[in-house]
Amino acid sequence: MRFLSNFRASQSNKSLHSQIKGGREAALFFGYPFTFRHQPQHSRARPRTASFSYACKSRIPIPLRTAGNCYHVPAMRKTVFFTLVLLLGVVTVLQAQTLPARLEFRHQGLKVETTSIRNRVELAPIMTLLGGEAAYSASAGVWALSLGENLVQVAPDRRLVLINGKLAEAQDAPITSPGGVAVTLRFLDEYVLGPFGFHLDATAGGYSIVAGVSAGRPVTVRPAAADFSATTTLVLSLDRAADASVEARPGGGAVVLMPRSAPRIESANRLRSRRVRAVIAAPGRIEVDLKPGVGLISWNVLTTPDRVVMEFGSAPPTPTPAPIIARPVQRTGPRPIVIDPGHGGEDTGAIGASGLNEKELTLAIASRLARILRAAGHPVRLTRDGDVGRALSDRAALANRLDAQVFVSLHANAWTAPSVHGAETYYMSLDDRASDAAAQSTADLENRADGGSLDQGSTLDLILWDMAQSEVLNESARLALRVQARLNALLGLKDRGVKQAPFVVLTGATMPAVLVEVGFLSNSEEMKQLASPDHQQALADAIALGIGDFLARQ
Amino acid sequence: MKLRLILILLAGLAIGSLLAWLLVAGSSQVVPVAEVLPAEAPPTPTPAPEQKITLFFAGDDGLLHPEIRTVPLPEETTARIRIVFAELLAGPRSSLQPILPYPAELRTVFVSPDGRVYLDLSGPPEALEGSATELMLIYGVVNSILLNTDVVAVQVLFDGTERSTLTGHLDLSRPLVLNKYLIGTS
Repeated sequence: MRFLSNFRASQSNKSLHSQIKGGREAALFFGYPFTFRHQPQHSRARPRTASFSYACKSRIPIPLRTAGNCYHVPAMRKTVFFTLVLLLGVVTVLQAQTLPARLEFRHQGLKVETTSIRNRVELAPIMTLLGGEAAYSASAGVWALSLGENLVQVAPDRRLVLINGKLAEAQDAPITSPGGVAVTLRFLDEYVLGPFGFHLDATAGGYSIVAGVSAGRPVTVRPAAADFSATTTLVLSLDRAADASVEARPGGGAVVLMPRSAPRIESANRLRSRRVRAVIAAPGRIEVDLKPGVGLISWNVLTTPDRVVMEFGSAPPTPTPAPIIARPVQRTGPRPIVIDPGHGGEDTGAIGASGLNEKELTLAIASRLARILRAAGHPVRLTRDGDVGRALSDRAALANRLDAQVFVSLHANAWTAPSVHGAETYYMSLDDRASDAAAQSTADLENRADGGSLDQGSTLDLILWDMAQSEVLNESARLALRVQARLNALLGLKDRGVKQAPFVVLTGATMPAVLVEVGFLSNSEEMKQLASPDHQQALADAIALGIGDFLARQ
Repeated sequence: MKLRLILILLAGLAIGSLLAWLLVAGSSQVVPVAEVLPAEAPPTPTPAPEQKITLFFAGDDGLLHPEIRTVPLPEETTARIRIVFAELLAGPRSSLQPILPYPAELRTVFVSPDGRVYLDLSGPPEALEGSATELMLIYGVVNSILLNTDVVAVQVLFDGTERSTLTGHLDLSRPLVLNKYLIGTS
């Protein structure tokens, strides 16, 4: 298929010529069913001394000057040429990424040869090589890979992996293969061999499975420090999620352990702190050099965005404290009430048939509620005072940072059954998370406590933490009851009661916190009421009275 | 003009040829996919015994209400979960409301050694709204599974991804336990 027979270029033009030649060689190398044929410009078709011919006038002439000669290639031809070069590049990349059909894996003197399919290798032979097992559960749709005490569960076409009971999300999914299940080398290294205590080493003709942790994938770390009067907060922002834990160095300082990552510090020279001297990356860890007398008080690994947060202070270094919930900042003066108008920005929330948005409704009621509470002498802060989006986790964090005495999140409900109506008040459910250490970390760096924090490293502290949470929970229940009672009494609303559920927006609030659903936008009657300014005012009045009742009994 | 047309045709032909070649070249390294045989033991020839299961559907009061029905129920946890989910998807036989607002597909079930379960459901075709929708869907599934299996907690995932929340209310980032506050008494 000689479809480029008319392609012309200067034989003496080295750059273009070499591209064509390179393309031709590449085409031959990859077995293309065609070749480029480059033709000297001084061929019969065009005079050697031609500059801009008539044929070129209708196109953009591109002169190619070499050794005093002027040639030109029509733009269209050039476009075709570069398209082909680009495609050849893509082919080359794809070729480079394709695994050989057969790959050899070695482990402790044994070897096994596996086939590859769609850039993935069969897992079963590798598990056999390691002395482990791979079993498929049809009802679960999951492959269970076990070796010793370790269990890794993977599912074809799913990026989710359950590693010893902990959920992880891989970059690519396993696939169903003739041998059962096949995974990419990256998946194999990170999510199968890693949990089993091995890693892959490339060898001639294949890979060696060796004990220990690999150098890991690179992760860029941007450090930032903020000095407070008694503590310093160091935030290490990561460009991707990474397993990390922090340990205090016995002789001072701290180390962030990132066993499957190769951290790289960015903009370290911009780090200025009274307590942190330097942040130094090493394979699998980050060393934090502290000034004398400074120790690690707490640490936390957070997501969205991914970051490691550490708090240092003059307190003597503790033996690796666990992630903590910091105490709210001790303020002077009256503590504010924080009102959270639900949703906002692109997140409209529920939308009624009339077009009434939940985000607009909650802001309208929140503004009225704020006015009422301010008139009663309470300082009030709204989590948003306009149509702006705000992360759910930031809302309670604001209340924590302000050491609010009450946090009220306002929402409007929706349900498929249009008959369902009424207001309801929720408070946080902790029964499913009290034992979950990860859940205890939600009131995080945003709380920025100067006054230290609970150390959950000991049983006593865990009990204390549990008691503190129970106290907040009891207070939240009381607040919810007061607010709901006023909603019922003043508005004659159907009592949908006080309920508990783990709402994101209430997670981590360290003060009495409730979420009020003011009514159902999916109920046409209630939607009309909710749209009315009088009803909005009545709702705000009722909620304000409920808050007042609660505060009066504090 | 004619030359331009020819060039366009040639370019199209070239791209087509390259793509065809790519497909051919790629397939040369792909091992033909055979039917995968489950590695676990084949199902027992005897049918699962019929047992009563408790399913939760939504009432007009916005709470979950139990509905008891008798179905063949195998012993194995993931198989039981699939039966329970299929019954939930089939919907209530009483005047209660379905909890699943769309025909969700249960794709994968991960069971951790400590009894936590991760359900991977197909996501809603369009955005859902309202905390009631979220609470009924999630706790209808969670409560129903917890009451009919030996599972201790359930995390619901959508489209193979951990979601922090579905409609902006409920925290779905970790396994949930039975929520008795959402169960109606009448």
